[in-house]
Amino acid sequence: MSQASSVLVFLEIKNREISRISWEATAAAHALADGLGLPVDIAVVANPNNPLLATIHGKAPRKVYAIDDPLLHAYTSEGYSEAYRQLIEHAKPAYVVLPHTYQVRDFAPKLATKFGQVLIGDVTGIEASAGTTPTFVRQLLQGKLNASYRHAGTGPCFLSVQAGAFRADEAEGGTTIVEAFRPKLDASQIRTLPGEPFRASAQTVDLNSASILVSVGRGIKEEANLPIVQELATALGAELAASRPICDNGWLPMERQVGSSGQTVAPKVYIAVGISGAIQHLVGMKGSQCIVAINKDENAPIFEVADYGIVGDLFEIVPALTAAVRKAKG
Amino acid sequence: MKIIVAIKQVPERDARIRIDSAAKWIDLQDVEFMLNESDAYALEEALLLKEAHGGEVIVVSAGPERVGQTIREALAKGADRAIHIESPDEMALASYDALGVAKLLAAAIEDENADLILTGLQSDDLGLGQTGVIMAELLGLPHASLILKIEKTDKGIKVLRELEDGWFQHLELPTPALLTIQSGNTKLRYATLMGIKKAKTKEVRRVTVAELLSDEPAIKIGEPVVLLEKVMLPNKQRTTQILGGTPTEAAAALVEKLQFEVRAL
Amino acid sequence: MHLFNAIPSSALCASLASFVWIGVLAEPGRFSLIEKLLLVVLVAASAALFWKRFGVVLDKILKSRKEPAFRLFPLGRRVWDFFLEVLCQAKVIRERPLPGLAHAFVFWSFLAFALVTLNHMAVGLGIGFLDPAGAFGRLYFWFAGAFAVACAVSIAGLFVRRFFVRPIWLSRPAVPGHEVSYESGIIAGLIFLLMATYLASFWVSDGSVAARVLWWTHTLSLLVFLPLVPHTKHLHLILSPFTIFLSRGGFSQIPALVGDEDFGLVTGKDITQLVSLQVYSCVECGRCTEHCPAANTGKLLNPKEIVLGVRSYLNDLGPTAEELLLGKYNSQEAAFQCTTCGACEFQCPVGIEHLPIIVGLRRGAVNTGAWEDSHGTKLFLAMERNSNALGMSAIERDKFVQKQELPIFDGSQEYCLWLGCMGGYDPKGREIISSFVEVMRYLGTSYGVMRKEKCTGDPARRLGNDLVFQQLAESNLEAMGQQKVKKIISICPHCVRTIQEDWKEFGTPPEIEHHSEFLARHQAQLPHNNTGEKIVYHDPCYLGRYRNVYDEPRSVISAAGTLVEAERSRERSFCCGAGGGLAFLGEETGQRVSSVRAQELVATGATTIGAACPFCNTMFRDALAAGGDNSPRLLDIAQIAAMQLPKPAAKPTA
Repeated sequence: MSQASSVLVFLEIKNREISRISWEATAAAHALADGLGLPVDIAVVANPNNPLLATIHGKAPRKVYAIDDPLLHAYTSEGYSEAYRQLIEHAKPAYVVLPHTYQVRDFAPKLATKFGQVLIGDVTGIEASAGTTPTFVRQLLQGKLNASYRHAGTGPCFLSVQAGAFRADEAEGGTTIVEAFRPKLDASQIRTLPGEPFRASAQTVDLNSASILVSVGRGIKEEANLPIVQELATALGAELAASRPICDNGWLPMERQVGSSGQTVAPKVYIAVGISGAIQHLVGMKGSQCIVAINKDENAPIFEVADYGIVGDLFEIVPALTAAVRKAKG
Repeated sequence: MKIIVAIKQVPERDARIRIDSAAKWIDLQDVEFMLNESDAYALEEALLLKEAHGGEVIVVSAGPERVGQTIREALAKGADRAIHIESPDEMALASYDALGVAKLLAAAIEDENADLILTGLQSDDLGLGQTGVIMAELLGLPHASLILKIEKTDKGIKVLRELEDGWFQHLELPTPALLTIQSGNTKLRYATLMGIKKAKTKEVRRVTVAELLSDEPAIKIGEPVVLLEKVMLPNKQRTTQILGGTPTEAAAALVEKLQFEVRAL
Repeated sequence: MHLFNAIPSSALCASLASFVWIGVLAEPGRFSLIEKLLLVVLVAASAALFWKRFGVVLDKILKSRKEPAFRLFPLGRRVWDFFLEVLCQAKVIRERPLPGLAHAFVFWSFLAFALVTLNHMAVGLGIGFLDPAGAFGRLYFWFAGAFAVACAVSIAGLFVRRFFVRPIWLSRPAVPGHEVSYESGIIAGLIFLLMATYLASFWVSDGSVAARVLWWTHTLSLLVFLPLVPHTKHLHLILSPFTIFLSRGGFSQIPALVGDEDFGLVTGKDITQLVSLQVYSCVECGRCTEHCPAANTGKLLNPKEIVLGVRSYLNDLGPTAEELLLGKYNSQEAAFQCTTCGACEFQCPVGIEHLPIIVGLRRGAVNTGAWEDSHGTKLFLAMERNSNALGMSAIERDKFVQKQELPIFDGSQEYCLWLGCMGGYDPKGREIISSFVEVMRYLGTSYGVMRKEKCTGDPARRLGNDLVFQQLAESNLEAMGQQKVKKIISICPHCVRTIQEDWKEFGTPPEIEHHSEFLARHQAQLPHNNTGEKIVYHDPCYLGRYRNVYDEPRSVISAAGTLVEAERSRERSFCCGAGGGLAFLGEETGQRVSSVRAQELVATGATTIGAACPFCNTMFRDALAAGGDNSPRLLDIAQIAAMQLPKPAAKPTA
């Protein structure tokens, strides 16, 4: 690693905000950089004057690159991978850290290939200390196995960080040095034509703003049984969420889905009712501060991540819980 | 339309997880194999397109001899022919990184000049989710990932892409293109007896990794840049408190915890 | 006509006045040459008209595909069935006693009249061989006369039943214009006329005009009757003895597929000679439909219509046609509403084997991918991926085996206890296994469970997915062979049937018995605690009709309480609704079969329902849950047996 070496983390702007997972990736980048004694740079596709760039979570980075080009206003894999490629050529980081989002999954492998590299994706753990090659842990077989990886050869090491694997740092005050980076892009390089994102249903539900979530899974058996869980949510003042199968069946709208293909949430309390805890779901909620699981199978994987668990028939437990909550609230 | 579907044979979902002696993978004894889940959806999309617009569906897969079974299944479901990149033993492909595997697949299909190449979103075993995107870059094709629906247009294709949090997006691309397909959107078809019988007569072109590399000197598979050092069973991250007793008792205990320990009520 | 011209009205009146009991069969006088010629011409015409239609039917049957793997020998069973069912009319009488007896008399009359009819024709040609006044003649004609009375009364009664009582099973409500079978009325009329004219001949003088009139009436009736036979369902007169003799035997014998082009009953080309023979033998009696659980709960499925649909197909298109069988002539939806309970096949008095036909039709749809059903696809995919019908991970079964500390079969134990999909994954099924294991532990039985089980393939087999079934059967047979499994005990009649019979297509399965047979055999060694409680036993289709096991489970129940029978029990037991793969196919139309049966069981006033099949158990559990707190408790016979063991740990649950 040359002296010019650094860790470059790319942030993602979503819903006019720098997403929480981006800050988690930043925290991961710091962990890596601190272990190796390297500086951290941040990059984001944004106008250099974007006020979002003033508030950086965590330790101040060495530099913030604002990658700006009209061809990047709408995300395309070709546009982003080419722009990022140019920045990496320019900044020559030893490590490139990205948040493991759908967008990153779409362009990062393409970007890495341009460098003859392979993305180490969906990393859940980093071990880095001076003088040794860092190892990165990721999950195999849908979470049933962990594997540690090492980067070999020269060239930048690309990695993406799993949501919830690292805790995002708080925003710290201080000024940041923003450097505008203008890539040279040509419209002919971009062959995909993206349309406007749209929601399947008109109603907007923001699971992220709720401090308590009551989430329902396949254990509920039939759509007609949902009111049992609804009542609990109402009693708790909580939002209702669900695992993928419930939404696939149309019993609850897609926007209530928590999981790898739904929302990633980190509420104060997450109550999983009749959810087995398949990895695709766990990924979406394991960042919750307190996880409660109610399931009739004591061996359900959800209990591995739960803080509190009740093993039994949810059709008996949930009504009892609703009554107890009402009583406690007076 | 000429459509190529890259499929992978993976260990069955509830294979018993025992780490093998080299600690680099699971012990494969008594493990059964099946078609990767999102690849099944990719194959289904390809077959639907063929049924709507005519053409040919070719499946390609890399792996040892046992992969032949999954290839036959794909042929039984309606694919027209197959390419099997045969690796000599169980662990041979493990020595390649994702870039290496993608190079093999790309080399095997390059001359086919397909209109569309489909892969599953990610594999159920390694879960990298990259092979398709890397192949697109190697072949110089536009690509899109997490695709739920494909429509043929005059200029190419229009696809429906899944975004996070219940958002979706349409995308238009010219063909030839590569798409990685998300699971769950279409109804899969089951393999029928008639399909299996017909599959017996369909062509499976076998090419070994060595032959492929010597046939296509342009592909240079270098040393892997990402190495899997070892696998281990995950640790339980937190201790779980199981609240017992009757439902009423357990509910009361939980409410107490939520009130006083978690302070959420 | 010469005859009628010869009789002026006064002579007719005189003839009628001459009806006096004479007691000897009167024969007409000598026939003139013209009359004889007329007779010959009429007989020829009748025979020609008969053949015109019968020949076509025979041709269709013979041109159908040859029945694969058909073995005529051993003849013993065939001869016995023929004797019992054809000659003795056993099933005809047993399953519908009064009308059955009436029909039996009509049939026996036909047999009794054999010589009468022969002689009758001979007399017309002047070569009569039975002397009505002679000793043998008198005896025989009186004997036939007794039958004639019985027949006349019977046919009149049957006529009243069909046209006035109008039981719905006799009709074809779905087919316009077929609410009542008018052709049957005509045939009944002809038969009555035949008997009446015969009997009347005892009341007129020999050689009289009256005798001649009667003779010609009788003859014309016969000659009109004959060509009507192949045009109506009375074709069974000729065909059904063959149908019964040539039947496949056994019960629900699903034939193996032959070669690479055989996918089941897809088009006319797949209809075999036996199937053709069977569908042409259908009497439209509706006994099959009367006992069908689907037909009785408002579904489209009507077994009679399935058979007649194939017949219509053959009539219109023939046995070499390429049009789909499940299309215009038979409904795919109906075919997939069958629980394969076998009540239809069991009831059929003419030997039609409905189940191979229905499963054959399903095969034709499933093996070619023509059946598109989301639940069905999900089931097949689950069986492909997880090798069990529930789509559960094998790890779940392992956990159960470990928790119950079940010994693993290693070849040294006597029995292999087969858990099956329900015993391995369903909570109720697991309770049954646990109870049975308690009994085996008490008896000190040497047993083990296989480390890994795959579904026997029963749902795939009954739904017609031969690909999945073959894969599972072959894989299981190989595993059992390797592990030296010799004797199996199973708690599930579906597993028992599939392993013992259906796996034969792919190898030699080990011996297998149902746990009720094991329990019955060990009754003497087990403790009994008869509480006198009323326990109603439900015969599972796959144990009762399929396997003829009725008494063994009852012996277990009688030891524990007072055995009570449901209104429909033993061979007439009403299905729970789970069979034929239907437990996996989602909601049914009309009433739920399980509710109907559950209500019937509850109506006996029993406080416990005894089951012997985990599927029946699961179906009734849901049906009873709707009934509320006063519902009887539901226990498998294994649980009933375990309850009487001296261990305090035995806790039956409702």
